[in-house]
Amino acid sequence: MSYSSSYSSVQVATDCVENKYSVILPTYNERNNLPIIVWLLAETFKENELDWEIIIVDDASPDGTQDIANQLVNIYGQNYIILKPRAGKLGLGTAYVHGLQFVTGNFVIIMDADFSHHPKFIPEFIRLQRSQNFDIVTGTRYAGNGGVYGWDLKRKIISRGANFLASTLLRPNVSDLTGSFRLYKKEVLERIISLVISKGYVFQMEMMVRARQFGYTIGEVPITFVDRVYGESKMGANEIVQYAKGVWKLFITV
Amino acid sequence: MTKATETARFLGIILLTYFIFLFNIIPLPQIIQEEILPVFPWWVLVSFGAYSLGNIGYHVYRFRDCEDAYHELMAEIQIAKDDLKTKGVTID
Repeated sequence: MSYSSSYSSVQVATDCVENKYSVILPTYNERNNLPIIVWLLAETFKENELDWEIIIVDDASPDGTQDIANQLVNIYGQNYIILKPRAGKLGLGTAYVHGLQFVTGNFVIIMDADFSHHPKFIPEFIRLQRSQNFDIVTGTRYAGNGGVYGWDLKRKIISRGANFLASTLLRPNVSDLTGSFRLYKKEVLERIISLVISKGYVFQMEMMVRARQFGYTIGEVPITFVDRVYGESKMGANEIVQYAKGVWKLFITV
Repeated sequence: MTKATETARFLGIILLTYFIFLFNIIPLPQIIQEEILPVFPWWVLVSFGAYSLGNIGYHVYRFRDCEDAYHELMAEIQIAKDDLKTKGVTID
Protein backbone atom coordinates (compact mmCIF):
# COMPACT_ATOMS: atom_id res chain seq x y z
CA MET A 1 0.00 0.00 0.00
CA SER A 2 1.40 3.34 -1.00
CA TYR A 3 0.47 4.86 2.33
CA SER A 4 2.95 2.58 4.07
CA SER A 5 5.86 4.11 2.25
CA SER A 6 4.70 7.70 2.65
CA TYR A 7 6.42 7.99 6.00
CA SER A 8 9.06 5.94 7.73
CA SER A 9 7.40 4.52 10.78
CA VAL A 10 9.07 3.51 13.99
CA GLN A 11 8.90 -0.23 14.19
CA VAL A 12 7.81 -1.21 17.66
CA ALA A 13 9.67 -4.33 18.67
CA THR A 14 7.18 -7.10 19.26
CA ASP A 15 7.72 -8.68 22.63
CA CYS A 16 6.24 -11.71 24.32
CA VAL A 17 3.76 -9.70 26.39
CA GLU A 18 0.39 -9.55 24.67
CA ASN A 19 -0.58 -5.90 24.75
CA LYS A 20 -3.75 -4.60 23.22
CA TYR A 21 -4.35 -0.94 22.43
CA SER A 22 -7.88 0.45 22.57
CA VAL A 23 -8.58 3.82 21.01
CA ILE A 24 -11.60 5.69 22.34
CA LEU A 25 -12.93 8.09 19.70
CA PRO A 26 -15.69 10.41 20.89
CA THR A 27 -17.60 11.73 17.88
CA TYR A 28 -20.25 14.31 17.14
CA ASN A 29 -21.01 15.05 13.50
CA GLU A 30 -17.79 13.46 12.26
CA ARG A 31 -19.33 11.73 9.26
CA ASN A 32 -16.60 12.94 6.92
CA ASN A 33 -13.66 12.56 9.29
CA LEU A 34 -14.45 9.25 10.95
CA PRO A 35 -13.69 6.82 8.09
CA ILE A 36 -10.41 8.55 7.37
CA ILE A 37 -9.15 8.66 10.94
CA VAL A 38 -10.15 5.00 11.37
CA TRP A 39 -8.30 4.15 8.17
CA LEU A 40 -5.16 5.95 9.35
CA LEU A 41 -5.35 4.21 12.72
CA ALA A 42 -5.88 0.79 11.18
CA GLU A 43 -2.93 1.26 8.82
CA THR A 44 -0.68 2.35 11.67
CA PHE A 45 -1.61 -0.58 13.90
CA LYS A 46 -1.33 -3.16 11.12
CA GLU A 47 1.99 -1.82 9.94
CA ASN A 48 3.42 -2.01 13.45
CA GLU A 49 1.88 -5.40 14.16
CA LEU A 50 -0.03 -4.19 17.19
CA ASP A 51 -3.26 -5.61 18.56
CA TRP A 52 -5.92 -2.93 18.46
CA GLU A 53 -9.55 -1.88 18.62
CA ILE A 54 -11.39 1.40 18.15
CA ILE A 55 -14.35 2.26 20.34
CA ILE A 56 -16.50 4.93 18.73
CA VAL A 57 -18.62 6.83 21.22
CA ASP A 58 -21.09 8.78 19.12
CA ASP A 59 -23.36 11.30 20.82
CA ALA A 60 -26.40 10.80 18.55
CA SER A 61 -24.92 12.83 15.67
CA PRO A 62 -27.71 14.01 13.35
CA ASP A 63 -25.41 13.82 10.29
CA GLY A 64 -25.36 10.02 10.10
CA THR A 65 -21.98 9.41 11.70
CA GLN A 66 -23.30 6.11 13.01
CA ASP A 67 -24.24 4.87 9.53
CA ILE A 68 -20.66 5.44 8.46
CA ALA A 69 -19.42 3.76 11.64
CA ASN A 70 -21.50 0.68 10.80
CA GLN A 71 -19.97 0.59 7.32
CA LEU A 72 -16.56 0.59 9.00
CA VAL A 73 -17.63 -2.26 11.29
CA ASN A 74 -18.49 -4.26 8.17
CA ILE A 75 -15.12 -3.57 6.56
CA TYR A 76 -12.78 -4.00 9.51
CA GLY A 77 -14.83 -6.43 11.59
CA GLN A 78 -16.62 -6.09 14.89
CA ASN A 79 -13.54 -7.15 16.83
CA TYR A 80 -11.77 -4.02 15.68
CA ILE A 81 -14.45 -1.37 15.35
CA ILE A 82 -16.91 -1.14 18.22
CA LEU A 83 -19.73 1.40 18.01
CA LYS A 84 -21.17 2.39 21.38
CA PRO A 85 -23.50 5.36 20.83
CA ARG A 86 -25.11 7.51 23.48
CA ALA A 87 -28.49 9.19 23.52
CA GLY A 88 -27.30 12.79 23.25
CA LYS A 89 -24.45 15.27 23.47
CA LEU A 90 -23.17 14.51 26.95
CA GLY A 91 -19.63 15.84 26.93
CA LEU A 92 -16.10 14.60 26.51
CA GLY A 93 -15.26 13.33 30.00
CA THR A 94 -18.31 11.09 30.22
CA ALA A 95 -17.66 9.85 26.67
CA TYR A 96 -14.37 8.37 27.90
CA VAL A 97 -16.07 6.86 30.95
CA HIS A 98 -18.71 5.36 28.67
CA GLY A 99 -16.13 4.02 26.21
CA LEU A 100 -13.97 2.58 28.99
CA GLN A 101 -16.69 0.07 29.92
CA PHE A 102 -16.20 -1.67 26.58
CA VAL A 103 -12.40 -1.59 26.42
CA THR A 104 -10.81 -5.03 26.11
CA GLY A 105 -7.22 -3.80 25.76
CA ASN A 106 -4.78 -3.13 28.60
CA PHE A 107 -3.84 0.26 27.16
CA VAL A 108 -6.19 3.06 26.16
CA ILE A 109 -5.43 5.83 23.67
CA ILE A 110 -7.51 8.97 23.66
CA MET A 111 -7.38 11.39 20.76
CA ASP A 112 -9.51 13.75 18.71
CA ALA A 113 -11.21 12.46 15.57
CA ASP A 114 -10.72 15.70 13.62
CA PHE A 115 -7.15 15.01 12.32
CA SER A 116 -5.47 17.37 14.76
CA HIS A 117 -3.85 14.24 16.17
CA HIS A 118 -2.09 11.95 13.72
CA PRO A 119 -2.02 8.20 14.45
CA LYS A 120 1.59 8.02 13.19
CA PHE A 121 2.72 9.12 16.66
CA ILE A 122 1.10 6.16 18.41
CA PRO A 123 4.04 3.78 17.80
CA GLU A 124 6.31 6.41 19.38
CA PHE A 125 3.98 6.65 22.38
CA ILE A 126 4.09 2.86 22.73
CA ARG A 127 7.85 2.67 22.35
CA LEU A 128 8.38 5.29 25.04
CA GLN A 129 5.82 3.64 27.33
CA ARG A 130 7.60 0.29 27.02
CA SER A 131 11.07 1.69 27.51
CA GLN A 132 10.33 3.00 31.01
CA ASN A 133 6.99 1.41 31.85
CA PHE A 134 5.27 4.81 32.01
CA ASP A 135 1.72 4.91 33.38
CA ILE A 136 0.83 7.67 30.93
CA VAL A 137 2.40 8.99 27.74
CA THR A 138 1.18 12.36 26.53
CA GLY A 139 1.73 14.11 23.23
CA THR A 140 3.25 17.56 23.51
CA ARG A 141 3.02 20.42 21.04
CA TYR A 142 5.41 22.49 23.11
CA ALA A 143 8.61 20.46 23.34
CA GLY A 144 11.24 18.99 21.05
CA ASN A 145 10.07 18.66 17.47
CA GLY A 146 6.44 19.30 18.36
CA GLY A 147 4.47 22.07 16.74
CA VAL A 148 1.19 23.37 15.43
CA TYR A 149 -0.21 24.15 12.01
CA GLY A 150 -2.88 26.80 11.55
CA TRP A 151 -2.35 29.11 14.53
CA ASP A 152 -1.71 32.83 14.19
CA LEU A 153 0.47 34.86 16.56
CA LYS A 154 -2.44 35.78 18.85
CA ARG A 155 -3.48 32.15 19.24
CA LYS A 156 0.12 31.17 20.03
CA ILE A 157 0.48 33.88 22.67
CA ILE A 158 -2.80 32.90 24.35
CA SER A 159 -1.82 29.25 24.30
CA ARG A 160 1.66 29.83 25.69
CA GLY A 161 0.39 32.28 28.30
CA ALA A 162 -2.31 29.87 29.42
CA ASN A 163 0.18 27.03 29.66
CA PHE A 164 2.63 29.20 31.62
CA LEU A 165 -0.07 30.23 34.10
CA ALA A 166 -1.14 26.64 34.71
CA SER A 167 2.43 25.30 34.88
CA THR A 168 3.42 27.95 37.44
CA LEU A 169 0.42 27.38 39.69
CA LEU A 170 -0.02 23.62 39.37
CA ARG A 171 3.57 22.49 38.70
CA PRO A 172 2.68 19.10 37.18
CA ASN A 173 5.95 18.88 35.24
CA VAL A 174 4.21 18.22 31.93
CA SER A 175 4.96 20.60 29.06
CA ASP A 176 1.57 20.37 27.32
CA LEU A 177 -1.16 20.41 29.96
CA THR A 178 -4.17 20.80 27.71
CA GLY A 179 -3.09 18.25 25.12
CA SER A 180 -5.63 15.52 24.47
CA PHE A 181 -3.58 12.90 22.62
CA ARG A 182 -2.56 10.43 25.28
CA LEU A 183 -1.83 6.80 26.05
CA TYR A 184 -2.91 5.42 29.43
CA LYS A 185 -2.64 2.12 31.20
CA LYS A 186 -6.28 1.12 31.40
CA GLU A 187 -6.48 0.92 35.20
CA VAL A 188 -4.70 4.29 35.53
CA LEU A 189 -7.22 5.99 33.26
CA GLU A 190 -10.13 4.39 35.13
CA ARG A 191 -8.86 5.58 38.48
CA ILE A 192 -8.07 9.14 37.41
CA ILE A 193 -11.17 9.76 35.32
CA SER A 194 -13.49 8.76 38.15
CA LEU A 195 -12.24 11.80 40.11
CA VAL A 196 -12.07 14.41 37.39
CA ILE A 197 -14.84 17.00 37.43
CA SER A 198 -13.58 19.76 35.09
CA LYS A 199 -14.85 20.30 31.59
CA GLY A 200 -13.41 21.68 28.36
CA TYR A 201 -9.75 22.65 28.24
CA VAL A 202 -9.39 22.17 31.98
CA PHE A 203 -10.48 18.52 31.77
CA GLN A 204 -7.23 17.35 30.18
CA MET A 205 -5.23 19.47 32.61
CA GLU A 206 -6.99 18.00 35.63
CA MET A 207 -6.17 14.51 34.34
CA MET A 208 -2.45 15.37 34.51
CA VAL A 209 -2.70 17.06 37.90
CA ARG A 210 -4.59 14.08 39.37
CA ALA A 211 -2.09 11.69 37.82
CA ARG A 212 0.75 13.51 39.60
CA GLN A 213 -1.28 13.51 42.82
CA PHE A 214 -1.25 9.70 42.75
CA GLY A 215 2.41 9.58 41.77
CA TYR A 216 1.85 8.11 38.31
CA THR A 217 4.73 8.45 35.86
CA ILE A 218 4.18 10.51 32.71
CA GLY A 219 6.29 10.41 29.55
CA GLU A 220 6.12 12.93 26.71
CA VAL A 221 6.32 12.55 22.95
CA PRO A 222 6.55 15.65 20.71
CA ILE A 223 3.64 15.75 18.25
CA THR A 224 2.55 17.96 15.40
CA PHE A 225 -0.94 19.37 15.81
CA VAL A 226 -2.75 20.26 12.61
CA ASP A 227 -5.59 22.54 13.60
CA ARG A 228 -8.64 23.61 11.64
CA VAL A 229 -8.47 21.18 8.76
CA TYR A 230 -12.25 21.35 8.78
CA GLY A 231 -14.05 23.93 10.86
CA GLU A 232 -12.85 26.56 13.27
CA SER A 233 -11.56 25.89 16.78
CA LYS A 234 -12.99 28.47 19.10
CA MET A 235 -10.85 30.46 21.53
CA GLY A 236 -12.54 33.65 22.66
CA ALA A 237 -12.72 35.71 25.83
CA ASN A 238 -15.24 33.31 27.33
CA GLU A 239 -12.93 30.31 26.88
CA ILE A 240 -10.06 32.22 28.50
CA VAL A 241 -12.17 33.15 31.54
CA GLN A 242 -13.42 29.57 31.92
CA TYR A 243 -9.84 28.34 31.65
CA ALA A 244 -8.52 30.74 34.30
CA LYS A 245 -11.36 29.78 36.64
CA GLY A 246 -10.59 26.11 36.09
CA VAL A 247 -6.88 26.55 36.81
CA TRP A 248 -7.69 28.44 40.01
CA LYS A 249 -10.11 25.76 41.14
CA LEU A 250 -7.50 23.06 40.65
CA PHE A 251 -4.94 25.24 42.46
CA ILE A 252 -7.06 25.45 45.60
CA THR A 253 -8.47 21.91 45.56
CA VAL A 254 -5.82 19.46 44.29
CA MET B 1 -1.81 19.31 50.76
CA THR B 2 -3.16 21.31 47.84
CA LYS B 3 -0.93 23.33 45.55
CA ALA B 4 -2.44 26.47 47.11
CA THR B 5 -1.38 25.54 50.66
CA GLU B 6 2.02 24.45 49.36
CA THR B 7 2.45 27.85 47.71
CA ALA B 8 1.10 29.75 50.73
CA ARG B 9 3.53 27.96 53.04
CA PHE B 10 6.48 28.74 50.81
CA LEU B 11 5.50 32.43 50.56
CA GLY B 12 4.88 32.54 54.32
CA ILE B 13 8.38 31.33 55.09
CA ILE B 14 9.90 33.83 52.66
CA LEU B 15 7.87 36.72 54.11
CA LEU B 16 8.71 35.77 57.68
CA THR B 17 12.42 35.64 56.87
CA TYR B 18 12.13 38.99 55.13
CA PHE B 19 10.44 40.69 58.10
CA ILE B 20 12.98 39.25 60.54
CA PHE B 21 15.70 41.08 58.64
CA LEU B 22 13.64 44.16 57.76
CA PHE B 23 12.76 44.89 61.39
CA ASN B 24 16.34 44.27 62.46
CA ILE B 25 15.53 41.29 64.71
CA ILE B 26 18.67 39.71 63.29
CA PRO B 27 21.02 42.62 62.53
CA LEU B 28 22.53 42.95 59.09
CA PRO B 29 25.17 45.43 57.84
CA GLN B 30 23.74 48.94 57.63
CA ILE B 31 24.03 49.21 53.86
CA ILE B 32 21.88 46.10 53.31
CA GLN B 33 19.46 47.19 56.00
CA GLU B 34 18.85 50.66 54.63
CA GLU B 35 19.53 50.47 50.92
CA ILE B 36 18.55 46.97 49.81
CA LEU B 37 15.86 45.50 52.03
CA PRO B 38 13.20 48.22 51.52
CA VAL B 39 13.27 47.83 47.73
CA PHE B 40 13.83 44.06 47.66
CA PRO B 41 10.13 43.08 47.22
CA TRP B 42 9.84 45.38 44.19
CA TRP B 43 12.93 43.84 42.71
CA VAL B 44 11.42 40.37 43.16
CA LEU B 45 8.13 41.47 41.61
CA VAL B 46 9.77 43.09 38.58
CA SER B 47 12.09 40.11 38.14
CA PHE B 48 9.20 37.67 38.19
CA GLY B 49 7.28 39.77 35.67
CA ALA B 50 10.30 39.95 33.40
CA TYR B 51 10.84 36.21 33.73
CA SER B 52 7.20 35.49 32.88
CA LEU B 53 7.20 37.70 29.80
CA GLY B 54 10.57 36.34 28.74
CA ASN B 55 9.41 32.76 29.18
CA ILE B 56 6.20 33.26 27.18
CA GLY B 57 7.96 35.34 24.53
CA TYR B 58 10.72 32.79 24.07
CA HIS B 59 8.28 29.94 23.74
CA VAL B 60 6.05 31.83 21.28
CA TYR B 61 9.16 32.61 19.24
CA ARG B 62 10.24 28.96 19.33
CA PHE B 63 6.71 27.67 18.57
CA ARG B 64 7.20 25.54 15.49
CA ASP B 65 4.86 25.87 12.50
CA CYS B 66 4.56 22.40 11.08
CA GLU B 67 3.54 23.23 7.51
CA ASP B 68 5.04 19.92 6.37
CA ALA B 69 2.74 17.93 8.68
CA TYR B 70 -0.28 19.64 7.09
CA HIS B 71 0.71 18.76 3.54
CA GLU B 72 1.60 15.21 4.52
CA LEU B 73 -1.80 14.82 6.18
CA MET B 74 -3.66 16.19 3.15
CA ALA B 75 -1.93 13.68 0.90
CA GLU B 76 -2.75 10.82 3.26
CA ILE B 77 -6.40 11.87 3.52
CA GLN B 78 -6.64 11.61 -0.27
CA ILE B 79 -5.10 8.13 -0.27
CA ALA B 80 -7.47 7.09 2.52
CA LYS B 81 -10.52 8.43 0.65
CA ASP B 82 -9.58 6.60 -2.53
CA ASP B 83 -9.00 3.34 -0.68
CA LEU B 84 -12.19 3.64 1.37
CA LYS B 85 -14.27 4.29 -1.77
CA THR B 86 -13.03 1.05 -3.31
CA LYS B 87 -14.11 -0.73 -0.12
CA GLY B 88 -17.60 0.72 -0.38
CA VAL B 89 -17.59 3.40 2.31
CA THR B 90 -19.70 6.48 1.58
CA ILE B 91 -17.35 9.43 1.11
CA ASP B 92 -19.00 12.80 0.46
